Amino acid sequence: MTIAIAGNPNVGKTSLFNVLTGSRHSVGNYPGVTVERRFGKLAPRFGGETLVFVDLPGTYSLTVSSEDEAVAFRALTGADDQTLGTVLLVLDASNLARNLYLAFQVLELGVPTVVALNMVDVAERADLAVDSAALAKALGVAVVPTNARTGEGVAALLEALRTASSAPAPQPLQPGADATAWRDSAAMFDNVADAVRGRWLIAAIATGQLELARPSEDERIALADLELDTAMRATSQIVTARYQRVDKILGQLGYAEKIRGTAPAMSASARIDKVLTHRIWGLVAFVGVMSVVFVAIFSWADPVMGLIEFAVGWLGQQVANGLGPGLFTDLLKDGVISGVGNVLVFVPQIALLFLFLGLLEDSGYLARAAFLLDRLMSRLGLHGRAFIPLLSGYACSIPAIMSTRTISNVKDRMVTILMIPYMSCSARLPIYALVIGALFVSTDPWISDGVDRGLILLAMYALSTVSALAMGYLYKRTILVSPTPPLVLELPPYRMPRLGNTLLVVYDKTKAFVRDAGTVILAFTIVLWAVLSFPRDATGAGGEGPTRVADSYGGRAAQLMEPALKPIGQDWRIGVGILASFAAREVMVSSLGLVYGMEADEDDPVELRRALREDVDEATGKKRHTPLSGLALMVFFVYACQCMSTLAVVKRETGGWKWPAFMFFSMTAIAYVAALLVFQIGRLLGYG
Amino acid sequence: MVPAVVQSLATLQRGVDAEVVSVEGGGAIAVRLLEMGFVPGSHVSVVKAAPFGDPLEFCLRGYHVSLRKAEAARVKVTGVKVASP
Ligand SMILES: Nc1nc2c(ncn2[C@@H]2O[C@H](COP(=O)(O)OP(=O)(O)OP(=O)(O)O)[C@@H](O)[C@H]2O)c(=O)[nH]1
Repeated sequence: MTIAIAGNPNVGKTSLFNVLTGSRHSVGNYPGVTVERRFGKLAPRFGGETLVFVDLPGTYSLTVSSEDEAVAFRALTGADDQTLGTVLLVLDASNLARNLYLAFQVLELGVPTVVALNMVDVAERADLAVDSAALAKALGVAVVPTNARTGEGVAALLEALRTASSAPAPQPLQPGADATAWRDSAAMFDNVADAVRGRWLIAAIATGQLELARPSEDERIALADLELDTAMRATSQIVTARYQRVDKILGQLGYAEKIRGTAPAMSASARIDKVLTHRIWGLVAFVGVMSVVFVAIFSWADPVMGLIEFAVGWLGQQVANGLGPGLFTDLLKDGVISGVGNVLVFVPQIALLFLFLGLLEDSGYLARAAFLLDRLMSRLGLHGRAFIPLLSGYACSIPAIMSTRTISNVKDRMVTILMIPYMSCSARLPIYALVIGALFVSTDPWISDGVDRGLILLAMYALSTVSALAMGYLYKRTILVSPTPPLVLELPPYRMPRLGNTLLVVYDKTKAFVRDAGTVILAFTIVLWAVLSFPRDATGAGGEGPTRVADSYGGRAAQLMEPALKPIGQDWRIGVGILASFAAREVMVSSLGLVYGMEADEDDPVELRRALREDVDEATGKKRHTPLSGLALMVFFVYACQCMSTLAVVKRETGGWKWPAFMFFSMTAIAYVAALLVFQIGRLLGYG
Repeated sequence: MVPAVVQSLATLQRGVDAEVVSVEGGGAIAVRLLEMGFVPGSHVSVVKAAPFGDPLEFCLRGYHVSLRKAEAARVKVTGVKVASP
């Protein structure tokens, strides 16, 4: 039997799900949409039967405004070809005045329902405790008080679920005498849908999201005559009728007076918010929190990433030693093993970012961050929720793009995904460092190199940030036009975050990345390896031998492309570096090293810097690389989507190659034009 | 009784306990506001404004919710009384 867990966001559904399933579950998607679907079997310690739990997306209502509600409604009405047993409806006891709205919407469905009255401890503390027996009587279904943090009440909840198989007395919602719009529109469905589905479709018309509700042909015909204005008035009447039910119960339970004009469950949080959402201190605190997160990500992820790279290198070497030189060895070492390395190297950043975002979300702080920064984001036409994914782009585009799932509007999510790769991620830093270190040497003894270099680096970050914002502004008004999403943001009470639940999310996210994006990254790495290692060199003394980079297909292509590279101040050597760095940006350093015929130390490529600085064109006697060409190269990297892993993740998140292809070509084109402008204008001004 | 003055939620003073009269206009946002509890008769008060003056934070039905001024302007309310500090 399948039990669907429904409820408002943040009421403890996932916590209950984890207790019931013993934290063992699998994650998939609902058919045809990117909404995540978690399901798991009842943990063995609760007895042997095969109960399966599905954690529905948390929604305030079942009225479709995004895929989430559509998914929840379909699951609850059994339209998802699932044998739905019982609905486990989780209510936040400290927030009943709003939670009961969804409760009535679910009870109208007439499916067997059991209510978990969760957060009873919070309600108790806020003096909002209610008599669960009285609530059960008023709702007509079993109500079990629970505390999902401690597991209290879960045994009783299971007992209620086992015995709740018979359908409850249906609670039809009837239009009152003056609800004429509702009456008129409901009449249109008399022959094609039941009252519940009819109401649902009327509301879907009112929200303008009928397509998400996937109406049948008959329903479409019935709806054709329904005017938008009538649908809106009808929906308003329906919603008001539900809230009248809610208010009646609240009155009976003595709850209504306690919350009139105040929010007892928020009293401690409101005091914390005096600082955390304060006009000045709120912003200071936000900068502080995010700085701690970023410093932690960089200082914890870096050593682990180094370790992974070292291990991969060591393994490749072992394989090479064991198998002896040859094509197969190269494929294994430089294709497969480094491909796996290219996947694993992202894991520390993904894990850490989701760990911190998870803890911040759980604590209630992310909602405050959205509240603080919504003004800035709404200027762009985005929701305050888009800020954190964008900011995360400074660390790494991959987890940043994965974290855009909190943005419910599809187009806005796409805009954000397209903006993120413009943010200068940490993998670009080694490239900036190489170029700045090699080509920007102060000639003025009074100005130390450090100041100049720091300013140039800062300028790159500023350029990337401004560009990301400008691109977002542009996309929002051209290819992804949609009105600025409204902000209706609950500010939940602060809670002590729980590490356990967050770690589960971290595990799920990491696994999904390795499984879905990993294969693409691996395949890309092998292709790139082939491009840079074929054709085989047959001239060596011992027959076939490794190919010099210059002679490989990739090297030849770069040489052929030189006429295109010259105008942006680069030669084919840099071209090979650009090509190779597509696998991973830090590969730029080692592959340039190959071109210059040296083993470049990736952390401090002193010799490579000198080689670049002193490289002279024999024909003209001029330096090949100047500060101006270096600047053009850096600008190219600010804009270019030189990261196949980003493309792989965008493919996973958007379900196709259309958007990754668009991202790659548009960013490369912009990068080229920008580098061209820098180099040509610089030359006109007499630099370089 | 003095007839209550109807005003928009976006201009409501801090510290005033108001009652929702209606949500104007249509579309997804109007439905969402209603479903979040901005139905006629619900009590609502302003908690604070965000650092850049927008959005605003409200206390409604025992919880806190934030709306931009543009959305809050759709909610019509009548000021009831000055809430005790
Ligand atoms: N004090 C207390 N905290 C709880 C209880 N149940 C859940 N929480 C906490 O409430 C927060 C939200 O719980 P989740 O399980 O993530 O809620 P959810 O309904 O799955 O939230 P969404 O995933 O946003 O829909 C977490 O910090 C939980 O630890 C409870 O009964 N008492």
